[in-house]
Amino acid sequence: MTIRYLKKYAALEDVVTVEEAESLWEWMCQQAHPAVNLSKCQHLHTAVLQVLLAARPKFVGEIGDSVLAMALGQAHADSAGHESMTKKGVTL
Amino acid sequence: MTVNDLLHQFVVEARDCLESISQRLLALEKAPHDQELLNDLFRSVHTLKGNCGLFEFPSLERVVHAGEDLLDQVRHGRMTYHAEMGDVLLEAMDFTADMVDLIERTGGVTSESQIPSERLATRLRAFLQANTKASQQAEVHQAEALPPATPPSWLASIPPDWCTEFPQSVAWRYEPEPECFFKGEDPWRLAGLAPGLKAITVRPLTPWPDLSELDCYRCNIEILGISDAPLAYLTEHFRYVPEQIAFHELHTGVAATTPSISEVNQPELSLPEVIRQRALQIWDEQRHILTQSDLAPGTAASIRHVFLQLLRATQAPQLAAAEASLQALGDSAGSEALHSWSALHHPAGGPEQAKSSTPSTAVLQFAADAAKTAPAPSSEENAHSRVLKVAQDKIDRLMDLIGEMVVAKNALPYLAQRAETVFVQRELAREIKAQYAVINRIAEDMQHAIMQVRMMPVGTVFQRFGRLVRDISKREGKEVQLLIEGEDTEADKNIIEALADPLIHIIRNSLDHGIETPDKRQQAGKPATGTIRVTARQESDRVIIEIHDDGAGIDARKVRHKAVERGLVHADKAEALSDSEAMQLIFLPGFSTAETVSDLSGRGVGMDVVRTAVERVNGDVQLHSQLGLGTTIRLSLPLSMAVTNVMIIDAGGCRFGVPMDLIVETVRVHQEDIHHFKQARTTVLRGRIVPLRALHELLELPGEASVNEEGEHAVLVVRMGAENMGLLVDHFHGATDIILKPLEGVLTGMTAFSGTALMGDGSVLMILNPKELMS
Repeated sequence: MTIRYLKKYAALEDVVTVEEAESLWEWMCQQAHPAVNLSKCQHLHTAVLQVLLAARPKFVGEIGDSVLAMALGQAHADSAGHESMTKKGVTL
Repeated sequence: MTVNDLLHQFVVEARDCLESISQRLLALEKAPHDQELLNDLFRSVHTLKGNCGLFEFPSLERVVHAGEDLLDQVRHGRMTYHAEMGDVLLEAMDFTADMVDLIERTGGVTSESQIPSERLATRLRAFLQANTKASQQAEVHQAEALPPATPPSWLASIPPDWCTEFPQSVAWRYEPEPECFFKGEDPWRLAGLAPGLKAITVRPLTPWPDLSELDCYRCNIEILGISDAPLAYLTEHFRYVPEQIAFHELHTGVAATTPSISEVNQPELSLPEVIRQRALQIWDEQRHILTQSDLAPGTAASIRHVFLQLLRATQAPQLAAAEASLQALGDSAGSEALHSWSALHHPAGGPEQAKSSTPSTAVLQFAADAAKTAPAPSSEENAHSRVLKVAQDKIDRLMDLIGEMVVAKNALPYLAQRAETVFVQRELAREIKAQYAVINRIAEDMQHAIMQVRMMPVGTVFQRFGRLVRDISKREGKEVQLLIEGEDTEADKNIIEALADPLIHIIRNSLDHGIETPDKRQQAGKPATGTIRVTARQESDRVIIEIHDDGAGIDARKVRHKAVERGLVHADKAEALSDSEAMQLIFLPGFSTAETVSDLSGRGVGMDVVRTAVERVNGDVQLHSQLGLGTTIRLSLPLSMAVTNVMIIDAGGCRFGVPMDLIVETVRVHQEDIHHFKQARTTVLRGRIVPLRALHELLELPGEASVNEEGEHAVLVVRMGAENMGLLVDHFHGATDIILKPLEGVLTGMTAFSGTALMGDGSVLMILNPKELMS
């Protein structure tokens, strides 16, 4: 398992595969204010990314993968009122 | 097949491709509009690119890909081929060849190759860009009249600051299909790895539902990105999802869609028409299969099924009737019944429908063409499958084995002798000899057959000359024409390989010292374009290669002067030499007449290297030159060097072998006929003075050369270049075939011996190298 569900947040680490999208979604559904830590995440599958985009969790710590940071930053900038912890408009 | 085998295969095929590419490129210089040639060239490059794509060699693929794109434009007549393009293409090819070598050595490419690779690719792409600019300028007037291309609607969702920040890049939109996760796709990864990625964003296709209602395994996103890589790379990167991806080039404002295959081939046809044509083609192919005898029932049944599907796909006018009649035939229908049915219900129009439902003539033509061309490739494939590609080391192994076989076979006569003398079994001895004769014959046939396999046309070496002459003559400002004759002449692989470097050296010499600059040539009353003629032919058991240039020729006076200046010969001796003898001085080590050292030749390592290399394979070099008219260098080489015929001699109690091709004769000379002059001994044979040397002295063997009862010496007369020399030995023995093994290890430096051979009785025979021994 590359997702560790902690008390305050879920830590997504290394490469998160498609099989883990469902458990993450279930976990997100149960949380009132879900938060995730992506600092050690190298890659996550599109299905997992989709869950993150839909659930709009709070991000704990920096996002390790710069491409991911850019996409999530943009997506969160689009959805007004939601505070994003990543730098906006990161370029590679 | 392991990855290593695959890699090996790749290296072999890549070399083949490169060879044909280089030939075609050179041929193209002479005929830049030859469509056939262009197509061939493109095909070779395309094959090479395809092979590169199998492995992760990005720097290699990038260059080849750029080359392919360029050639594709040339092939379609959108650009014209010119010499500059050829230069860059050849350079790219050299780079590719280096990469292939590297891959063979290390199994991969290093990151160091990245920079030259990118530089080459950019240079190749520069031609493409120059062309698009030119055509854009040409179209400016037309473009003014036309409204500018409307940007796709999705472009609006890309943040406008990206477009201003990266004006020269390509924007793309990737919309994965909803079910893509079940196909094992990971669109985010694909998008994240897009070449030259500058910015990326993800958006939901439809607004996200309430989290509890989300189906996380149904893809509901679109990915928008900006890349500064060329469009071609992006197209290549997203090649598996062509219908889900859209590109837009920001600087040109042109929406680029991935062209489908049908559009490339038949740009003017609409999609239903393409499907229809394809269906007709398949129909004809099925009919062709039906005509074959011994058709399995299963095949007939599946063909029937294909017909059924095709009928529906083409929406033939009498669909219902045709389908019904096909159903009536049943699963067990024979091939003949199906064949006649398919003729009757042909979608392009059966015999009687042809008039009523006149399909367009183009379609009919297409179908007919398809029928005609369909069997052709298969027969071609058959021809290819008959040629077997075998790695060289396997052939070498066979060669070694047959060598051992020859040696082992030679043990039989010894055995026969022992049976007769030791065991007094004459009958058995005779039988052994009879068996030996049979084995001997088979072994000889086998050896001959393997030798044939190792034969290669000398043209394989000549191919490199075209490039060499082109490059050097360009750099030197000389006009040179290269004529090659007899490239089909065959010789052993080892000989051909040993020949490559000396030949290139000779050609370089001809280019550098031989051929004059155009104005000098015209002053001398010669055509401005110089000619280098390389001819190869077979003369009995030798291959003769002549390199002739019509350049300045060799000045014997200069050669004499230079040789004396360099201390290679004594001044008196140099004066005594005839002109043609003086010219041979250029073969001496350390000789060079060039005033300045160029990077071509003139380092003083020229002709002696050539001679050594040629003599190593038992060949010899001759040189003729006429001042002002040109130079001819003639190489004479054995066809094969695998088995050497030697004569066995005896001196000081040791046995030695002397290569048969050096021996002129064996004579007995009476002691009194030997003239002594100080240390030197000579004798007169057939009116010519022959210097004599004793092998005992040369090898410091104990004792003196023995004489027989009649007071005669055994003299082996050997050829030393143009002269003969006598070698005093003790006894002559017979001749035998041996496999010469070169000396190894610490013995390598002993030039007096050319190698060793294992004899049938298990003893080792040292083979003399008389040229080195007596010079």
